[in-house]
Formats: sequence, structure tokens, C-alpha cells
Amino acid sequence: MSVGVSLLKKTAVEADTFVQRLDGRVKFLYFLWATVIVYIFYDPYLNLIFVAVTLAMAFYARVAKPILQTLLIIVVPWIAFAVPILALPFGFPWNKTIIGYIDVFGNKYPVYLEGLGWGITWPLRIAVAISSALLFFLTTNQAKLVATLFKMKVPFKLIYMVVATFQFIPLLAKEAETILQAQVARGLRTDVGFVAKIKNYLSVVIPLTLSSLNKVQIRAITLESRGFSAPVKKTLLYEARLMKIDYIFLSLMFVSTAVLAWVYVNIGYSPIAGLSWIWGG
Amino acid sequence: MGQRGNEKVIIVENLTYAYPTSKDFVLKKVNFEVHRGEVLAILGPNGSGKSTLCKSLNGLVPHFYGGRYGGKVIIDGQEVLNTSVSQLATKVGLVFQDPEDQISGLALTVWEEVAFGLMMLGKPKEEIRQRVEEAIRYVGLEGLEKRSPFELSGGQMQRLAIATVLALRPDVIVMDEPTAQLDPIGKFEVLSVIEKLANEGSTIVIAEHEIEEVAYFADKALVLFNGEVIAYGPVREVLRKVDELKSIGIDPPSVTELAHAIKKELGLEAEYPITLEEAVKIYSELLGVS
Repeated sequence: MSVGVSLLKKTAVEADTFVQRLDGRVKFLYFLWATVIVYIFYDPYLNLIFVAVTLAMAFYARVAKPILQTLLIIVVPWIAFAVPILALPFGFPWNKTIIGYIDVFGNKYPVYLEGLGWGITWPLRIAVAISSALLFFLTTNQAKLVATLFKMKVPFKLIYMVVATFQFIPLLAKEAETILQAQVARGLRTDVGFVAKIKNYLSVVIPLTLSSLNKVQIRAITLESRGFSAPVKKTLLYEARLMKIDYIFLSLMFVSTAVLAWVYVNIGYSPIAGLSWIWGG
Repeated sequence: MGQRGNEKVIIVENLTYAYPTSKDFVLKKVNFEVHRGEVLAILGPNGSGKSTLCKSLNGLVPHFYGGRYGGKVIIDGQEVLNTSVSQLATKVGLVFQDPEDQISGLALTVWEEVAFGLMMLGKPKEEIRQRVEEAIRYVGLEGLEKRSPFELSGGQMQRLAIATVLALRPDVIVMDEPTAQLDPIGKFEVLSVIEKLANEGSTIVIAEHEIEEVAYFADKALVLFNGEVIAYGPVREVLRKVDELKSIGIDPPSVTELAHAIKKELGLEAEYPITLEEAVKIYSELLGVS
């Protein structure tokens, strides 16, 4: 099973820490807030601070491993790939400030601040969004998640789609594995070139799609038979309610917002790295 | 056997149905009745319309599938055609063939899975708690309440499916080949629960391949072939029609077949047993063994 699938298979980790105790809405707000703040500023150091704070909470809540795995898969290759391209000549249209030179096979190439800054800032922004979103999902158990989304007036059908996806993706992965094994048993070769491999995998994708559609219909039938569409107010076993810890966390976010607003007005959008503004930054 | 009452819980009159994608009718003028406390076994080879008939009892046919529909299905006085599936959910509980297909996807534990239907119907929390615990105890899943439904064995998962239905306390429990995908142990576990339900007076409609097992607790049987009712009546009478059943690919219980063969080959007139215990009794009497 791939790392991505095994990550999705993970459900909320039950531990008695303040992160798990925080109301789902507060953690969801933290995800939105952090994502917006790192987008407003253009500073990789600030992004790193947000990643560090989120990871610290994740470590405390014992959910750091899957978050780090995801960052390793998505963000690290992006930085490793984008930075060398963007920081070098012709890699980025706004490159103008040379901060050094690198030697490649005896040729000296200038390294530009603008490309380097853009190449690091953007993946780190994504890292903040991913880590804070995963912190929300991995520390909010399903019952609390449903109650949270329900309280946020999200339509129940949409809530079902969000929550059920997390349960059914591993099942789909299992199904794909079974189909692949069946096709290999019937002579499908997997030890072929890249293009042929993609072509061969169609023989997995097509039956998987058809079986998934079938499963979706069966699921719809099951839900219908169990009163899913009943025109009554659903009973939720868990009620989302804000506690003292939630108000403390919200206050911290409020104070941070005020400080960051002051920083933005008085120091600027790149207070630590001092990057100059570029389009798309 | 169920404790039969006089009240008719299911009335099916001239039910005719074709799926929207098919020009052929899968059910043709089907008629039968089920009284409160009765167990009706629906028998028939693959493709005979058993599953469609089951789905017509809780309104999935025609509400969910659409298609051409004729005749009447009345459940506890309410006509299915004029009642929504969610309204019928408290009257008819449907247990599907594949236990994994019945998992809601919204519950992380066995307990939450059983509670799901009640939550959807907006039942009060205290009532949910009480009903869930009762249903779990009934199907023998105590101790597994906190387990993920996906971690259960086939037999346990099917018992969970039955518990989800029982929690809703429906008037009728409809089971569409509930043991078809289970191993022998799973089959035994599930059939034990069904037999207990039957003995305690639940109204059950069960489509089953395992005639030998169903014969122990069914009151009536209905044989479907190509969407038509070939035989309908008390289970003993239906299972006696050995040649007719075999001609459409249904194997009657081995003991019934044996009695039929003895009658045919030796001309020995004896009552047809439908269970092993009955066979032992009948042949013991015939052989003069006490």
C-alpha cells in the first residue's frame, strides 16, 4: 500500500491532549487563518514559523508522523525541483538580484534572490495549508468532525461525502490491488516500459471505475434504506461546544493577528527575509 | 417457526416490474401475503427476481430505480408506491447479500454503525443508546462495540448488518441471501440469529439458497422462476414438489429428495421430511426402531 493510501487510512488519533480537546471549528479556523496569513505575507521564514508551530502541536498530539510523511512527499520534492530552476538565469522572469554563483561542470551560474525566494516561499505556504488541514483531520474524531461540520451548517450530504471519502479510499485501494492481481494472473505484464505500463494500467482503471460506480450505487441504496434522506433533524451523538481551551486558543489567534497586522503595516509583507515584491508572490 | 398472527403485514398483488434499462419484466404478476410473525422463504435460481422482489418491499423498487411498475405492495397498511423509502425504513429493514455493502461509511465503530439509522431518523439520544445496546446484545456482538466494522469477520459483519436493522425495530425484516457470501462458520452464526428471530415471532422474508437451513424455520415458501411465481404455500407443501424444483435448478433438502427417491424407486409411501430431525423420526417409525 502506498504512503498516500496508508495516510488516508489513518483516522483521528485518540489522545488526551489539548489539541484533541480543541473544538473542531477552532482547528478548522486555525487552518484557514494560517493559510491566509502566509499568503498575505511573502516571507519563507514566517512560513517556517507557522510550519514549526503546527508541527509542534502535531508532535504533542501524536500525529506528526503522517503530516511529516505528506510534507516529505509533496513539499520537499517541490522545493528540490523548483528552487534550482527558478533561482538560475532564465528560470524566473523577475530574477535580478544575484546573491552568489554556483559551479556546474566548470561553468559559473548566478543564483538569484527572487527565484530562490519564490521557489521556497510557495511550497512552504502549501506546507502550512497541508499541515494545518491534516492537524484538523487527524485530531478531530469522526463523530466530532461530523458534529463540527453540522454546526457549521454544512449540508449533511456534503458532510457524508467528506467523511466517507476517508473511509472508502483504502477500500478502493484494496479493490485496485485485487483487480491488478487478477489481471496479472490473466497475463498482464507489469515488467514493461513506462508507456506500455501506463497502457496496461488501463486494464485496472477501467474495471476499478466500473466497480466503484457499482459500489456508489449500492452505498446509495444502503443509505436510503437506513433513513439517510428522512426529512427530519438528524440526531448527533456528539455536540460541538466551545470550552475554555477553545477561547484561549482563539484569543491567541486574535492577538497574533493584531501583531501580524502591525508588522505588515510598519515593516512590510516580508518582515524577516526582506524579499522584494514580485507578481504572483 | 414464527408465532403466526392473523394480521396481514405484507400484501403483494399482481406486482409487475421492469428495470429502466431492461425491456423484459423481472417480476410478473407476483402475488403473496405474509402475516405478522410469519417467515416466508423466497426460493429461486439466480436471475429469478428474488433480489428485486426484496427491494420492492422496502420501496427501493420503484422509488430508487425507477422503471415500469404495476400492481400493489402494501406494508402494514401503507402502499409502497405512495410511501418514501425513508418512511418505510422503520417498517421494513433490508439486510443485503454482501455485508460490506451495508456499512454506512460514517461510523468508526460497531456501536456507531448500529446507531447510524436511528441518528438519521432523528431518534432521541437516550432511545438510541438503549436500542443500540439491545440490538448488539441480540446478535451477540457484545465486546466488539468499539471495533471498526471493517475489522469484523464476514459472519460478524452480517450480524452487525442485522443489528442495524433490528435497532430500527421494523415490522418486517427482509433478508436478501444473507449467507451467500459467508464461510460455513459465518453462515452458522447468521442463521442462528435468524432462527432466533423467527422463533421469537419476528416477521421475516428471506431469499435464500440454503434451503436445508431455511426449512427449519420458514412457515411459507414462494418459488420464483423468471419473475413468475411457480409455487407458493406452506413450506412443506412447496418443498414436496421435488421434480418441479429440480427442473428449475433448485435443490430441495437432501432428506426430502431421499424420501422422494424412495417413493419413486421403491413405491414406499411416507411423509416427506424437510429437516434431518423429521427424517430420523419418520424413518425410525418406518423401520420400527424406537
